[in-house]
Amino acid sequence: MQIRAMRHGRRRVLAASAILAGLGLLTACSGTTAGGSDKQQTLTVWHYFSAPVQAKVMDDLAATFEKAHPDVSVKNVYVPQNELIQKLTAGVAAKSGPDVLVFDGGTSSTVALAGALTPITDEWKSFPDKGQFPDSVVHSVKGDVYTVQGYVNLLGLWYNADLLKQVGVEPPTTPDAFDAALQKVVAAGHQGLTLSAEPGGDFNAMPWMSTAGFDYADPQADALAAAFDKVRAWTDSGALSKEASTWDLTEPFQAFTAGDVGFSVNGNWQLGTAKKDAKFDYGVLPLPLGSKGKVYLGGEAEGIGAFAKDPKLAWQYLTETFWSADGEITSLKETGTIPARADAATDPALTQDPISSAFAKSIADNGWTYPDPSVPLEKSGDVQVEVGQVWSALVGGQSTPKDLAGGLAAKLKEILG
Amino acid sequence: MSSLITPGRALVRPARAQTRKRSSWRSSRLPYLVPAALFLAALSLFPLVNLVRMSVSDVTTSTLNGQWDFVGLGNLVRSFQQGSLLPALGHTAVFVLIVTTIGMVGGFAAAVALQRAGRVAGLLLPLMVFIWALPPVVNGSVWKFLLGDAGLINVALEGAGIIHVPLQFLYDEKVALVAISLVNSWAVLPFNALVFRAGILGISPEILEAARIDGASRWQEIVHVIAPSVRSTALVLAVLTIVYGFRSFDFIYVMTKGGPGTATSTLPFLSYQQAFGRYDFGMGAATAVLSVLLVLVLAVVYARSVRSEEEEA
Repeated sequence: MQIRAMRHGRRRVLAASAILAGLGLLTACSGTTAGGSDKQQTLTVWHYFSAPVQAKVMDDLAATFEKAHPDVSVKNVYVPQNELIQKLTAGVAAKSGPDVLVFDGGTSSTVALAGALTPITDEWKSFPDKGQFPDSVVHSVKGDVYTVQGYVNLLGLWYNADLLKQVGVEPPTTPDAFDAALQKVVAAGHQGLTLSAEPGGDFNAMPWMSTAGFDYADPQADALAAAFDKVRAWTDSGALSKEASTWDLTEPFQAFTAGDVGFSVNGNWQLGTAKKDAKFDYGVLPLPLGSKGKVYLGGEAEGIGAFAKDPKLAWQYLTETFWSADGEITSLKETGTIPARADAATDPALTQDPISSAFAKSIADNGWTYPDPSVPLEKSGDVQVEVGQVWSALVGGQSTPKDLAGGLAAKLKEILG
Repeated sequence: MSSLITPGRALVRPARAQTRKRSSWRSSRLPYLVPAALFLAALSLFPLVNLVRMSVSDVTTSTLNGQWDFVGLGNLVRSFQQGSLLPALGHTAVFVLIVTTIGMVGGFAAAVALQRAGRVAGLLLPLMVFIWALPPVVNGSVWKFLLGDAGLINVALEGAGIIHVPLQFLYDEKVALVAISLVNSWAVLPFNALVFRAGILGISPEILEAARIDGASRWQEIVHVIAPSVRSTALVLAVLTIVYGFRSFDFIYVMTKGGPGTATSTLPFLSYQQAFGRYDFGMGAATAVLSVLLVLVLAVVYARSVRSEEEEA
């Protein structure tokens, strides 16, 4: 009896052990859901922010999410901007990549077409806050939503208030007043304007091209010629240095903060630099473009990687950080980005700040989707290269404005069909 | 007869044994080559074969990880029709010519000047290694700053009263390419000087002493003794410098992005722009293959010249 009882006891122990082991295995296999189990889960976020102030926003958003979800660890990974698309496309072949991607919204379609993003159409449709976002910040490819911008970046007209006062010029709000102001600043022995004209795309050229009536839907040489004449007049008069033809968006602002320049066409993201480096009073106005002018709404888009380990967690991360009112205001306060959400745009941090509110006004008056919706997605790269090169050649003093305009219009018609 | 045959057999046997020994030695050596061969195949051969395949296919972002349709020379034809290929070829030729000429002549001159050990050589040699080792992105950014309107060079020239308006180093379409070529030459010069110097130090001191005893001036010593002695070094360096010139991309990317307009767009930059600006990977690969072919032609010329030199020797 004793032996039998012992045998039964052994069997029970073995059975119990097997059940426990099985349960353990099942728990291990099931993984974790957001806020579900005790197991720590890592969410990988790729971004290209090298500036400390921008990297801090990434860290702050990650910390906010980790606080709300103690079982999740957010790992921000810096990938240089010029390597991002190569790494993502290589990752598609290897079926790997980040859980969340924060990158240039202008390249959304390229990254989506490469297969590096997960479509979020259904999630977006059922997102209760989607009505807060304007259509211009929602990026779709072939009917599917892939990325959304939590904030926008755009160009505005920074001015040196001290210098304008000294010269006797009021900050200009119309195209004609701007030209007159430039002439006065130059006549007083200062540099009129800095902007970016390196051959990198149409972001910096579009405001001036569209003001003269240019439209990608019908690219006309006359409108381009009118715009180019105006810009060439700036370089001919000495208001704008031809050196801008090799400048990215950082260099013109460095020249502006040095103090001897009246205006700089630059973005809201320069707020931190202005506060740190400008030793004079400065202000911002919407670009003086008139009613026809278009200012691209650039900035970073956020999306979920095609090979995200837990797409639901990635979605939760985005809705609780980049696409939440609090997340957008964090970014606004730290880097000057303009919130895309309607409710965040009414925050006093935006409405009571003269710099940020000037950019917000520009969005309302002249904001335009980037890249231009008239350009087919697969032609976007060609258009960017062609316009960028002509813009650089124009500011660099090559050829005549008329010839450059004629050549570009012909190229665009060829590309756009 | 038998006496003749026997020694013959005796001669044949060791020869066969020797061949067997050599072949077994060879076969025992071969496995050691496997890791290197595998690495070469994975990191060089496979990408190269893929590049060639891509250059004759229609590859865009949407097809990059899918099926590639064969288009033959279509990518190259489209690149030519776009009007960007021929100017880039011309810019590359100018660029390579300047970099090679200054790199070779300057490198040799610097090596001769630093031939003898001394304080100057002791100071300059580490500096040259430092310049050579500087990442091109850092080097290019520094030079972009130096060559700007408000950069050190223009400010110094204006301060000295030599110029009254800044020189347009990087944004005059006729000057920009030359300026970047000169910066590239400056970057390659230390390496060439160090290699030339190693070649010069290998010349027997007796030969130089004999030339001096015979009354050769320093110039004659350089032209008639040193230069011929480092001829083989110069040939290798010339090919390396040309290849360096052909693949130079970093300085252009950092300093002008191919601008103003397309004034400094060379083949490597054009290839990058087609692949990662237009997202036409097939066209970018076709331009890259064209560059490789041009370098290969030069490599064949070099190999022939080396062979004929060896035969003469």
